[in-house]
Amino acid sequence: MTYTGEHIWAGQLGHGFVILSFVAALMATIGYYFSSKEQLTHSWKRFADIFFSLHSVAVLGIACTLFYMLFNHFYEYSYVWQHSNNSMPMQYILSCFWEGQEGSFLLWTFWNVVLGNILKRSLKYNQSWEAPVMLVFSLVQVFLASMLLGIYFGDYKLGSSPFLLLRENPEFSNLPFVQNANYLAKLDGRGLNPLLMNYWMVIHPPTLFLGFSSTLVPFAFAIAGLWRRDYTGWQKTALPWSFFSVAILGTGILMGGAWAYEALSFNGFWAWDPVENSSLVPWLVVVGAAHVMIVNKNKGGSLFTTHLLSVSSFLLVLYSTFLTRSGILGNTSVHAFTDLGMQGQLVIYVLTFIFLFVTLLIHDSLLKVSYIVLSLILCYFGILYGYKKVLFFTWIIVSTAATVWTYIKDFPKEKNEEELFSREFWMFIGALLLLLSSIVITYFTSIPVVNKLFNANRAPVKIADYNLWQIPFAIIIILLVAVTQFFKYKRTDTAQFYKNIRWSMVISVVAGLVCCIPLYFVKDYKTASTEDRVNYILYSLLFISAIFAILANADYWVRILKGKIRHAGASIAHIGFAMILLGALISTSKRQTISQNTSKKQVERLGENFNAQKSLVLTLGDTLPLGPYMVTYTGKKREGIDVYFHMDYLAKSKAGKLEKVFDLSPMIEDNPRMGKASNPDTKHFLGRDIYTHVTYADLSEPADVDKDAYKEPTNFVGHMHDTIPLDNSLVVIDSLLTNLSEQEYRQNDSLLIITAVLRALDIDGHVYKARPKYIVRKNMIDPQEAVIPELGLKFIFWKINPEQGSVEIQISEKVGNTKDFIVLEAYMFPFINVLWAGCIVMVIGTVIAIRERFRLRKISQA
Amino acid sequence: MKKIHVVGIIVIAVAIGVILTSLSNSTSYADFKEAMANPGTEYHVVGKLDKTIPVEYDPKVNADLCSFYMKDNNGEEKKVVLHKSVPQDFQKSEQLVLIGKMQNGEFHANDVLMKCPSKYNDGKPQI
Repeated sequence: MTYTGEHIWAGQLGHGFVILSFVAALMATIGYYFSSKEQLTHSWKRFADIFFSLHSVAVLGIACTLFYMLFNHFYEYSYVWQHSNNSMPMQYILSCFWEGQEGSFLLWTFWNVVLGNILKRSLKYNQSWEAPVMLVFSLVQVFLASMLLGIYFGDYKLGSSPFLLLRENPEFSNLPFVQNANYLAKLDGRGLNPLLMNYWMVIHPPTLFLGFSSTLVPFAFAIAGLWRRDYTGWQKTALPWSFFSVAILGTGILMGGAWAYEALSFNGFWAWDPVENSSLVPWLVVVGAAHVMIVNKNKGGSLFTTHLLSVSSFLLVLYSTFLTRSGILGNTSVHAFTDLGMQGQLVIYVLTFIFLFVTLLIHDSLLKVSYIVLSLILCYFGILYGYKKVLFFTWIIVSTAATVWTYIKDFPKEKNEEELFSREFWMFIGALLLLLSSIVITYFTSIPVVNKLFNANRAPVKIADYNLWQIPFAIIIILLVAVTQFFKYKRTDTAQFYKNIRWSMVISVVAGLVCCIPLYFVKDYKTASTEDRVNYILYSLLFISAIFAILANADYWVRILKGKIRHAGASIAHIGFAMILLGALISTSKRQTISQNTSKKQVERLGENFNAQKSLVLTLGDTLPLGPYMVTYTGKKREGIDVYFHMDYLAKSKAGKLEKVFDLSPMIEDNPRMGKASNPDTKHFLGRDIYTHVTYADLSEPADVDKDAYKEPTNFVGHMHDTIPLDNSLVVIDSLLTNLSEQEYRQNDSLLIITAVLRALDIDGHVYKARPKYIVRKNMIDPQEAVIPELGLKFIFWKINPEQGSVEIQISEKVGNTKDFIVLEAYMFPFINVLWAGCIVMVIGTVIAIRERFRLRKISQA
Repeated sequence: MKKIHVVGIIVIAVAIGVILTSLSNSTSYADFKEAMANPGTEYHVVGKLDKTIPVEYDPKVNADLCSFYMKDNNGEEKKVVLHKSVPQDFQKSEQLVLIGKMQNGEFHANDVLMKCPSKYNDGKPQI
């Protein structure tokens, strides 16, 4: 069949680029391999350079083709159809590009190409490293390019192509549209996930992926170093790159936090979500790696650690790709990418690079050969006979043993022991703590993997447990951040050291206690559980340490560095890091739920040990207290699929009158395809944020109805003093009065009148009374209704159940009584701006440090 | 022994400590039967919402309380009291994960994770 309107050339072009990028990366790898062996000639290097350039062009070509297809709505392509549509605002076309897995792999490949070319240029003066480093780069590119191939080998699919035609997508190939030659004429795309239509989603993924890519540079150097058995030569060159990675990856992670805080309703900026963790962990490790590199540069040593950490940060990026892309996380993550059947491929990549690391690390040639042979045998058995888990564990144990053995027997180590009072010792400890902290996070995050490996059924780790484990690490690390600069390399004069830090230490302890005691110990501590008490102590320690780190680093900058900004990169970055921790600590630990149910309505409590009330029911026009404010719900408005709920926040002015301070419009997106999604709205003040989101609301349009008609009556069964919640009031049965005693009634068979005295309390506290009567006349029951016109209520007292001692009252409410209402949660985040400011300060500091490194290198080269 | 080795041993000890502690005091996935046998212990229970029985939620009475019936993966059905407002699109959920404990024959959940049939991902090209 010939289909009309298809742009087959675009897909062919794109696919051509994909194959070219793969083949060229492969050729470049081979070329760089032989190039690093050649002594005098450069023919292999020229060969490899050409292919690396060709690879770069091909990757650019893939990206441009995909963009062209997205811009022009070529819905005949599966990727375009899945991730964009006609009604989508064009500024989010970038988000479409990386929404799917193929696109995000492409983004990663693209950044690797950019960094690879810059690195190649900067290594011009360092020729002996160029070929080995570019070899690693090209090899990684071979793997990444294969993720986009989408080629079948029998039943096994290698990669997933973004240039697959919609009608050739196996998911859709049996649908009726495939039979229609003119299907494109009416086809619209499925569209972008609305949660991604957010400005953060335009800049967060590329930054994060640049961060991921940048970990490849220290990895490539470390692998090249192992291969060449030159363990120190690369570190000076890789150092600024590692800090580049620290800055970019750190920014990317916090941008993700900002997106979560602004656009998602999980009530905070960090939820220890697996996807967040798996970008945090490589960052922690690369921070460790970069710091050990500084030690190595200034004093030598720490060789094994630099290699281990540099390799690990990249391996952890690969591992987190596996975690988030393989579908293994199931429903433990908000980010769930769908499984494209690349689980096996991703595992193979991670294992291949571990294999490469261990093989290159091993010195002893007999051990090396045995390791390679054993790995191949295990792999062979795994493929042929199964028992994959057992073989996998065997291999992991063998690899660890080989690594440890090589480290003990053959790896060059420092002869002299480090001084306790030396900078290198404590920097090393800091790096080790970062590694340990990331091992804990990785283990917690990998619970679904652990479950699969051991057939266990453990639930994901709770946020509170993450915090409990990570805060002690944070305390020690931030203390190290405070003091380590005051140590000197090799040996420090202890007296001078104490003299240098004593003032910042004293001030921070005093200031910390002055702040922490009212924050954690005055009100909350007495009533808190043991668990919370432990937390309060940990919070206070972290608070004091963070203040100490800020003061000590500022002091170092002003007094020791004489305020010179050029040298102050480290101090500034450390101040920023301490501010991030401080901001995160205060805003999270003192987060206040200001939306308790304050509507004066009776609240029935069921069960124990459950969180305090956190929802507020707000009826149209009502004004209720919300933390320090009064809040009014002024109405809702639908814009397309978004329903906005407008709220005014009021506060008493000086004259004692309620005045509007600001308004917020949290939104519920009523997406016909995605379902409903609640988007918070936040008012930012310098010292605190007021965060509100709607958890429950009626999204329908107000209908045209007679507001004065009574609704269907409801029957209420109750006792004296019971409270009946109604739409606009609370009704209490105050008393029941009779005109006769029971005896008189029995004797006389006369008229019995029982009056229910009802008291209605409206939202403003006005009291109304109603007296419906239950009248028995000659054994005939004839109830007399009572009305409260002001509240639009009608009561009929129609039954008495003497056995239960209860009465039954029919209540009718007017239609107009039921006003539109919403249920909302509101939180106050104090001092969250300290966190965002800290992020900016940290990035500025890191950039200053990187510039200084480059400047020093230029001077040394000149 | 070098200081570094002492540090190394501490690091390994902490790592093992973390794994052991987290093994001993972590919640696990369970069915209602197991949760019934250990009232007061927190579990994650996976199951499906019984859509034939209406979900009770009256924000005017308590905005942080709703109740419904869920069938666990063994087909056992229990009343669930969720101490939260009713989640968006609750009726459309195809799978629930409750986090909470059994109390007096009812499952009291602090939180619920739900999996919706994402029409977004399941959309098919139609003309």
